[in-house]
Amino acid sequence: MPFIGEILKHRSVSIVGLAKNAGKTECLNYIIRRLPTDYFNVAVTSIGIDGETTDQVTGTAKPEITVREGMFFATSEKHFRQKRPLSELYDVSEENTALGRVVTAKALQEGKVLLSGPSSAVAMKRWMDSVQGFGIDLILVDGALSRLSTASPAVSEAMVLSTGAALSANVRDLVNKTAFLVELIGLPLYMGPEPELRISSFASPEPALLKQHRVVEVEGALTDRLLQVARQALDDDEFSLVVGDFTKIFCSQELYRAYVRRGGRLFVRMKSQLLAVCVNPVAPNGIVLDSDTLCRSLSERIGLPVYDIVKNDYEV
Amino acid sequence: MKFREIVESPCGIRYLFDELRLQSGYARKVLLDREMMTDAAQIDAAYASLRGYIGLVKTDRRHVEDIRFRLQGLREITGTLSSLADGATLDEIELFEIKHMAMLAETLEVGKDMQRVVDILDPDGLGIGTFYLYDSYSVELRQLRAAVELDPDDESLREQLLNEEDRLKKAISDKLRPYAAELRRTLQALADLDISIAMALLYQDEGLSLPVSGTATEIRGMFHPEVRAILRSKGREYQPVDFDFAKGIPATVIGANMGGKTVAMKTVCMLQYLYQFGFPLPAAEAVMTPFDDIRFCIGDEQSERTGLSSFAAEMQRIDRAIAAVDAGGRVLVLVDEPARTTNPVEGTALVAALLERLGNEPNLALILTTHYTVEHAGQCWQVRGLVPGSKGRTMDYRLVKTTSHEVPHEALHIARELGIDARWIDLADTIINRQYE
Repeated sequence: MPFIGEILKHRSVSIVGLAKNAGKTECLNYIIRRLPTDYFNVAVTSIGIDGETTDQVTGTAKPEITVREGMFFATSEKHFRQKRPLSELYDVSEENTALGRVVTAKALQEGKVLLSGPSSAVAMKRWMDSVQGFGIDLILVDGALSRLSTASPAVSEAMVLSTGAALSANVRDLVNKTAFLVELIGLPLYMGPEPELRISSFASPEPALLKQHRVVEVEGALTDRLLQVARQALDDDEFSLVVGDFTKIFCSQELYRAYVRRGGRLFVRMKSQLLAVCVNPVAPNGIVLDSDTLCRSLSERIGLPVYDIVKNDYEV
Repeated sequence: MKFREIVESPCGIRYLFDELRLQSGYARKVLLDREMMTDAAQIDAAYASLRGYIGLVKTDRRHVEDIRFRLQGLREITGTLSSLADGATLDEIELFEIKHMAMLAETLEVGKDMQRVVDILDPDGLGIGTFYLYDSYSVELRQLRAAVELDPDDESLREQLLNEEDRLKKAISDKLRPYAAELRRTLQALADLDISIAMALLYQDEGLSLPVSGTATEIRGMFHPEVRAILRSKGREYQPVDFDFAKGIPATVIGANMGGKTVAMKTVCMLQYLYQFGFPLPAAEAVMTPFDDIRFCIGDEQSERTGLSSFAAEMQRIDRAIAAVDAGGRVLVLVDEPARTTNPVEGTALVAALLERLGNEPNLALILTTHYTVEHAGQCWQVRGLVPGSKGRTMDYRLVKTTSHEVPHEALHIARELGIDARWIDLADTIINRQYE
């Protein structure tokens, strides 16, 4: 049972897919099936609108989340009314999502649910705090496409990354893109003295301004535009940018590499713990990559174990 | 007039509203929807009740914190209660909401018959705030659930189970229906409890007071809480101000620039609103009297943004206030520096005429600030102004009654203290002296 032990060491874990149909839902179901439930309370939810029975973009069948008896789950009113096992209601939030308020319930028997929880990282954090009173030991968050913000260490302690052929049909390209994100997740924590200069992501500083400082803190998103200015400002002196966490980085790999090549460094204030990487070699358009090759080349590149949980279906 | 309509008033009442430590969004909504009280007896009753909560905050803070913690669970369920009253069958989420609210009310000893409501939704007497259609609601439900668990693919069994669940939801809804009106009253009472406790805490946090009702207004030691907070953040203290006024006696406030006339007007206006919405007041003590209509005429950015010139916007505001006076009822009209943006000749005439136009209204309390010298039969107040001999910018913000309606000539003095270009100010001085010769 790979990486389940790691998950149990944390209070909140988000499962993030690098692309739609990258196998995130299978990954979540895999984890749920293997978690202990005796004397261990698990809550599962999803960010925003997710958990549809068919994928709204590609129309491929999308497995629902199977909750086990005794497990808590949070979903929208609409989806709660649509499908659920017999469940005991614990809370109805005041916050509204597009599908109604968020309902927190405990499954009294095993069954399938459609998950659509709080719709922003901030709302997710608030929900997580609000359910602490129910004695929950572990919260699993199904992070949605382009909503990497739930994986922010400000929201959840640790994460599981799910990637696959849906991201790219080319193994090299897939490995490359995945490895870049893993690299960003692994960026070192900033431990130096307080930066003298803080700039907002909306600012357009002159390279000359950045040149006067050795460490600059970026408040909000680090964009290509900002990184480009920083790169131009680089000279022989040591220069570092500090961002909140890896979810605030919205830069292309090319530009980041160019910045690093010129001697620039990037640090984070908070760090996520990456527990595992799962791959799904099947893409919705029918392309199937070789699972073993994919796992091996990705694992070699990132230095972490990589699992194809569908093919191998590790013992429960 | 609802609180919602005056919360953004330029008098700055929003600050105290934001400082209120309400526990639920629903209480916030209820407060915003409250109607302004215009009856002294009703206001006195509200203060008598608030006095009780202030006592509780003082004597049993732990109990108050316990109540506040529980009130965090208060949710707006008016929609669900309307459905119940209208004869609808409620689903599990709605039944949960009612149980949750009834249990909250029961623990806080608010409302009647809440235990009966809880009993309907807690058939096993578990005493916990969660809900589902419990097996004990019917033997058939229990049997069908067991059967479906054994044979999950039997469509007919599943349908029977669904039908039984629907039947039970209808039966439970019917049992709850007689309590719909009481549930609604209780929900309101829970919001009122949240508001009262928040006001009692505000009283303590901000050092406020409760007024008594009388026929004329007499305020001692009033302050503007937001301005005070700003001053405190700069390590300075707010100088409290006394003020009084009555219906039928127009009052003008004159005095130096930067002497706090506008802040005094804002404070008086805020106190009046706070009183009529039952809030504790930012004053050492106060006798207040209710009005049917309160009009605060002060320049604000909003009307300027709509494209009106400041003069036009101001004239229209005062025009509406005059119409309100003519419409009858007890009216408080506060005007900050009317006609200040026009030339002093016409400006003085407009102010004098306004005092004459409204001077004889027995039900009107009119207060205006001005820089123009205007003689009138009412009461004139003056800012004490610059403290003589003080180096720097020491200002005495207190208001004193004066018989002279001649506005003080302190503008040049203050400009000098501000360090404005000396040649300019000296020239102005020379011109004034030339005029008087």
